[in-house]
Amino acid sequence: MTKYIARRILWLLLVIFVVAFITFLLMHLVPGGPWDREKQLAPQVVENLNKKYGLDQPFLVQFGKYIWGLLHGDLGVSYIYQDRGVTSIILEGLPKTATLGLVAFLLAIFIGIPFGMAAALRQNSLVDYSSVIFSTIFASIPAFVLGILLMIVFSVFLHVLPTGGWGGISYIIMPAFALAAIPAAYISRITRASMLEVIRQDYVRTARAKGLGERIVLIRHILRNALIPVLTITGPELATLISGSFIIESIFSIPGIGRLFVQGVFQRDYGLIMGSILFYAFAIAIVNLVVDILYAAVDPRIRYD
Amino acid sequence: MEATATQISARPHHTLWGDAYIRLRRNRLAIAGAVIIVLIIIGAVIIPYVSPYTFDKQDITAILEGPSREHWLGTDSLGRDVFTRLLYGARTSLAVGIFTQIIILLIGIPIGAVAGSLGGKTDNLLMRFVDVMYAFPDILLIILLRAILGGSIFNIFLAIGLVSWVNVARLIRGQVLSLKQRDFVTAARAMGGSSGYRIMRHLIPNSLGPIIVLVTFSIPRAIFAEAALSYIGIGVKPPTPSWGTMIRDGYDVIFAAPHLVIFPAIAIAILMLSFTFLGDGLRDALDPRLRK
Amino acid sequence: MAGLLEVRNLKTYFYTQDGVVKAVDDVSFNVSEGETIALVGESGCGKSVSALSVLRLIQEPPGKILAGEILFGGKDLLKLSRQEMQKVRGAEIAMIFQEPLTSLNPVLTIGRQLTEAMELHLGMTEEQAKQEAIKLLESVGIPHAERRIRDYPHHFSGGMRQRVMIAMAISCAPKLIIADEPTTAVDVTVQAQLLELIRKFTAELNSSLIMITHNLGVVARYARRVYVMYAGKIVEHGTALDVFHHPAHPYTAGLLASVPRLDEPKKVRLASIAGQPPDLIAPPPGCAFTPRCIFAVPECSSGVYELVEISPGHFTTCWRAREGKIAWKTD
Repeated sequence: MTKYIARRILWLLLVIFVVAFITFLLMHLVPGGPWDREKQLAPQVVENLNKKYGLDQPFLVQFGKYIWGLLHGDLGVSYIYQDRGVTSIILEGLPKTATLGLVAFLLAIFIGIPFGMAAALRQNSLVDYSSVIFSTIFASIPAFVLGILLMIVFSVFLHVLPTGGWGGISYIIMPAFALAAIPAAYISRITRASMLEVIRQDYVRTARAKGLGERIVLIRHILRNALIPVLTITGPELATLISGSFIIESIFSIPGIGRLFVQGVFQRDYGLIMGSILFYAFAIAIVNLVVDILYAAVDPRIRYD
Repeated sequence: MEATATQISARPHHTLWGDAYIRLRRNRLAIAGAVIIVLIIIGAVIIPYVSPYTFDKQDITAILEGPSREHWLGTDSLGRDVFTRLLYGARTSLAVGIFTQIIILLIGIPIGAVAGSLGGKTDNLLMRFVDVMYAFPDILLIILLRAILGGSIFNIFLAIGLVSWVNVARLIRGQVLSLKQRDFVTAARAMGGSSGYRIMRHLIPNSLGPIIVLVTFSIPRAIFAEAALSYIGIGVKPPTPSWGTMIRDGYDVIFAAPHLVIFPAIAIAILMLSFTFLGDGLRDALDPRLRK
Repeated sequence: MAGLLEVRNLKTYFYTQDGVVKAVDDVSFNVSEGETIALVGESGCGKSVSALSVLRLIQEPPGKILAGEILFGGKDLLKLSRQEMQKVRGAEIAMIFQEPLTSLNPVLTIGRQLTEAMELHLGMTEEQAKQEAIKLLESVGIPHAERRIRDYPHHFSGGMRQRVMIAMAISCAPKLIIADEPTTAVDVTVQAQLLELIRKFTAELNSSLIMITHNLGVVARYARRVYVMYAGKIVEHGTALDVFHHPAHPYTAGLLASVPRLDEPKKVRLASIAGQPPDLIAPPPGCAFTPRCIFAVPECSSGVYELVEISPGHFTTCWRAREGKIAWKTD
């Protein structure tokens, strides 16, 4: 088991390294450099700025310094907000983004799994058909479209929810639902399919033949097995959730990392862009790692690998 | 002894495609999707010749109007006709959807084929690279690429394409690997023949089905990526209409004129849904296991 | 001997897209206390479905137990509520299934799967049940039972998993054990051991045993009485001696003839029963075996065939056999 975890952690580190390298590389391929703005700066100014930020040094040296900084939790500097490091900027937005992500995730699970279960247990009923229809529809509508439509209905037409900002439940509902829709749809679909498969299995029949009550059969025998595939897709779904959050934050004016990222892109603040991307990649990698570990904890068959 | 009369049931002989077509026809959602896509394409193509407005014709006397007889879907904050802009935006979305697929295929197929046929270290290396790319949040990478490549709409195709080829490569690689193991390849090699040619000959017909399905699912993702890029401001440059840009512009006046945001949002949803339904239908129709 | 289980006129049908499958069509059999009987027949003849019907483990839909009575210890199982039936399963009637590879839950330890039933039916605590489970594992021949309790099914071979299934079945000392082809999916070398285990426990617990199999060698060795099934009906039954030495139905004779025998000269070809298994949705009219029966005459395709006593305790549905009109080599 520990070997399994150790390998996954190594993989995580490798991925982060490669992502950092590629991003760093791409940044340096940008024509014009980070000082290319609307108003042209004097060459002397540019040269000084480059020296100040160490941009005149060879590529590998810069990269080496960057990695060194990363290992100490330093995500580099922002070229726009010159008095603050990227790390502190991101940490400021982190609580909001994390809260949004967490709420959306919980929504996805607590809507998706019960729906999928109900659909499987009552096949061909209204619940089953509506679950399939809703999951198909909501799996294809991008979060930001859904977010906008929700905003139109609840803020513009009904005036019950604010269009944006941060401060309490009413600010979180719409963005969280918009973010949760696609993962919920996929989770519901896979829960249903998986349960239908598990219910037919011989070991469920064995459990019933032992006289176990339906409830125990459901929880101990059916669910434990049926939720394994759901766990498998949780990782990628969370990744989608995390990476899609920035658009939602934009739409709903949530002061999280996403909004900073969008501003950074717009303003060509490469330091901030790089730091944000690395942060997102790291978050996704950690999430995948946790899911992998949970998976091994739940399914004994893959443990000794 | 009795002779049991056996009935030889007459089964109409169908090719995979003929059978697939019949099955597809029965899937109403897929048909609906296909019809909608065709309608949108037609609308997008004929709009320049049919509309009394151009997409950038401003009319300050008719600002922020709701739907009316002159302006079917109303006007925006510069008095431009929304319906016309919407269909021009469809051109952008469809163009992005389709041209990115070309790039995806141009990159994905060779990489997959090389990985599959060469095998060994090259394959390993390529697949590890693919895994890392898979771990990367694609929309973010697209944004990064876009920021770097800058400029034209072609670079949008490139940015999206460069990130999305992974599934195609995996598919082709799988196909090549399974073809390599088939008997006729071993036979050809035993006779000293070139297995490469035979693989190619069989690669295309075998992969065509799954590739069609992959592409059909990949188009809505490209459409979404373009809309997202345009929404945050690094997509197509104005005044070229794009649904994402329209949402962004309409956002500022969302209370005064919500229709400016509703229509493009719904358009994105409908187009994506249509491709998804069509893709589902195609996938079921082309699944050899479901043949009757 | 008292009748422990009495199945009367059981009908279990499956409603499928292609039609109604009459898997069990008016079947009756009984078992006395401490007795071992066998249900034999080829695949699809309805023996497994009969067993599952006794425990009411038929999936509804598409299956349904339409008619009949299943009297167990005086109560009709078909009339029990769900909770009452759950008290019977595992505690009074236990089943050993055919496929050890898929019949155990892959994510639960063997120990857990053993203790479940005991905690439920015998009211044991977790610790008591665990100790008992260890003893059970040892008694079915699994060494290092204390360690093995914490292992998962995929750590065990097929034969060992079947031993676990046997242990599970006897854990609550049931009065009736139903073994559904318990050795079919297992190596030949292990088969005999498993059967011996089953025999040993049934004797120790004085349980009754219904052995479902298509392997006549097993029947001969272990069963006192035999029921031969074909196309969802019982076509012959009697003591094992009677049925084996004086088979009274062409199908039984055919089954016996197809068993290889050590004492026959090698040149004798193995006979197999010609033809295909019957279609249970639209079975042949009259006696269902007619299309494959070498003794059939046109009259066999009409009429209703019931079990009639041909000699004390020996019943058959074949009218020609009853009237002595046909004979075959018996020993």
